[in-house]
Amino acid sequence: MPRTVFGRPLTPWLLILPSFALALFIICYPLYNIVFQSAHEVSRFGLIKGFCGLDNFRKVFADPIFIASLWRTLWWTLGVVGGTVLVSVPVALTLNQDFYGRGVARVIVMLPWSVSLTMTAIVWRWAFNDEYGMVNVSLQRLGLISSPVHWLATSTTAFPVMILVGILVSVPFTVTIFLGGLSSVPVDIYEAARIDGASAWFQFRKLTLPLLRPFINMAIVLNVIYVFNSFPIIWVMTQGGPSNSTHILVTYLYERGFRLGKPGEAAAVSLVMLAMLLCFTAIYLKIQPREGSQA
Amino acid sequence: MQVGLSHRLTQAAIALTAIGLAGFAAPAQADTVRVTVAYYSDQTEPYFKKMAEAFEKANPGSSIKIEMVNWDTLQQKLQTDIAGGTNADLAIIGTRWLLDFVKDDMAEPLEGYMAPSFKGRFIGAFLAPGQIGGKTYGLPIAASARALYYDKTALTKAGFPNGPKTWNDVIAASKKIKADGAYGFGMQGKEIETDIYWYYSLWTNGGDVVGKDGKSAFNSPAGIKAATLYKSMIDQGLTQPGVTNYSREDVQNLFKQGRVKMVISAPFLAKQIKKEAPTLQYGIAPVPAGTGPATYAVTDSMVMFKNSKAKATAWKFLDYLFTKEPRVGFTAGEGFLPTTKEEATAPQFQDPDTKAFVALLPNARFAPTVTGWEDTAKAVSDAMQSVYLGKAKPAEALKAAAVIADQALGK
Repeated sequence: MPRTVFGRPLTPWLLILPSFALALFIICYPLYNIVFQSAHEVSRFGLIKGFCGLDNFRKVFADPIFIASLWRTLWWTLGVVGGTVLVSVPVALTLNQDFYGRGVARVIVMLPWSVSLTMTAIVWRWAFNDEYGMVNVSLQRLGLISSPVHWLATSTTAFPVMILVGILVSVPFTVTIFLGGLSSVPVDIYEAARIDGASAWFQFRKLTLPLLRPFINMAIVLNVIYVFNSFPIIWVMTQGGPSNSTHILVTYLYERGFRLGKPGEAAAVSLVMLAMLLCFTAIYLKIQPREGSQA
Repeated sequence: MQVGLSHRLTQAAIALTAIGLAGFAAPAQADTVRVTVAYYSDQTEPYFKKMAEAFEKANPGSSIKIEMVNWDTLQQKLQTDIAGGTNADLAIIGTRWLLDFVKDDMAEPLEGYMAPSFKGRFIGAFLAPGQIGGKTYGLPIAASARALYYDKTALTKAGFPNGPKTWNDVIAASKKIKADGAYGFGMQGKEIETDIYWYYSLWTNGGDVVGKDGKSAFNSPAGIKAATLYKSMIDQGLTQPGVTNYSREDVQNLFKQGRVKMVISAPFLAKQIKKEAPTLQYGIAPVPAGTGPATYAVTDSMVMFKNSKAKATAWKFLDYLFTKEPRVGFTAGEGFLPTTKEEATAPQFQDPDTKAFVALLPNARFAPTVTGWEDTAKAVSDAMQSVYLGKAKPAEALKAAAVIADQALGK
């Protein structure tokens, strides 16, 4: 690598410049557009009507549905990401064992990943149909319930159900990350631990978990970003209803922008979401131990 | 954070591809007319392709490009197209959006193109919603009204062989049907038109959604009566349980499956029943009356964009679409109601189903062309869902909805 007289290699910077400029443009232009829209009154069909300062933000923050959706988004993210990590660790550990049919088992776990999220959500919407859905029919045949449960009719059942679906679709990606992590864990340290008389639980806590930690960290950050912004499951299954009781910010945003014809307010909501994600990422990077950076 | 970067690169690649595609779509020749068409059924695309071909043949040198979009994403597509300046020349829109189009000065008034006899082609009630301030901006491409579908076998057994006439009949019939183990009245409580499903009850009980003063009018004694009626039917088990989990299509499916015996829907349900549940013996009756008769009628409009560069050809195509043969093909194929006088005389529309719907038109209510209609629809839908779930009393739910609606109406 030829170095410049300043002691810093120049070529890498030059090589990266075109793609960097492109990436910068692609990130900055929509951002500029959103900021611009959020500070203007925008008609239903996207015409800019005039500058309105922070009015859109004021309107949105004065809307009790927005505040409720904000809190619900936190629960949604916490529920789905927390659940996903809790489920994925044992699944990844199991799939990392050498057993007959492991290939098939891995494929089955990965399968939901290959189906589009919207399709998955539609299938689950049918599955949770009161009258002819797979879930009610199965539970009735098993004798666990006597009459159909109205899963999606009220938020008390609909929201947990959607969190479960969210976990289900996030598991494959997370398991993949963990499997990658586990494959880099050397086998001999377990042997050494066994010889020293460490129990399986002890091995898990003292060896596997610390070595997996950078991967868990990465899975949490990426999943939080995906899940926080995840639109299809809730929109397909309840559209945020009944009576706004299952809205999260992104479905609220879509409804504002494309149903109620208020793109300006929708842009304001999306900026709030961006700020929240930036805060989360900044805090997370701060509290995350240094060793995590090798991921 | 390699994954994050590659993810971002993927996004960048997708965005680039999108920009590339948009770039290809932008330069249009002067005699190319792009038409944004909503997907009504699997008949829609072949129909418009056929019309485009026939038109291109008759008008050498001009070309028609049909762009199909789902109803659900139509508004989103129009919005992004308009904002990006890549909108089509003609588009199908929900007539309820027309006012926004006119206010934004995007719709071309059509009077300048029309031959004097042109307006005379239409059935007046269907042309009116497309006119704002005395000018015609939208032509009614699709129209429908609503009526009560009933299961003939079940309703005969319940003592109403010609269908229930009033809400009291519906309740009486539903009680008997319930005793036989089915659900009486199918009630919609989810997604688009949840508000409309309640307006049937509101209108027939003498209420209205928006008053003459342009303010909300549904928070009225008639409104409370209408909401209480539905809620009491739910509580007595005369509807399917869990109504807030049933969208329009879900309720229609229950009817096709024979699980509910009455449902209010549009003409196209008859078409679906013939195809999907041919053994179901159904009858069509007016929306049950309370203090009076009423139904809901709705049109979709074809509009011309003001920024179109091929207005003459676009108008020619519009003119062609609204002649007899093309109209009959569209309306019969989709199961809508005729919007022009000539097509109404076609043998396809002399069947009892279509006639039953056409007979209801004198009492039909259209969605008024006011701003804030969508906000009102949302507020009312939310209110009804709370009422159906028992989370709010009709009076308080309607009062709260009226406050939200009044903030948006007429603004």
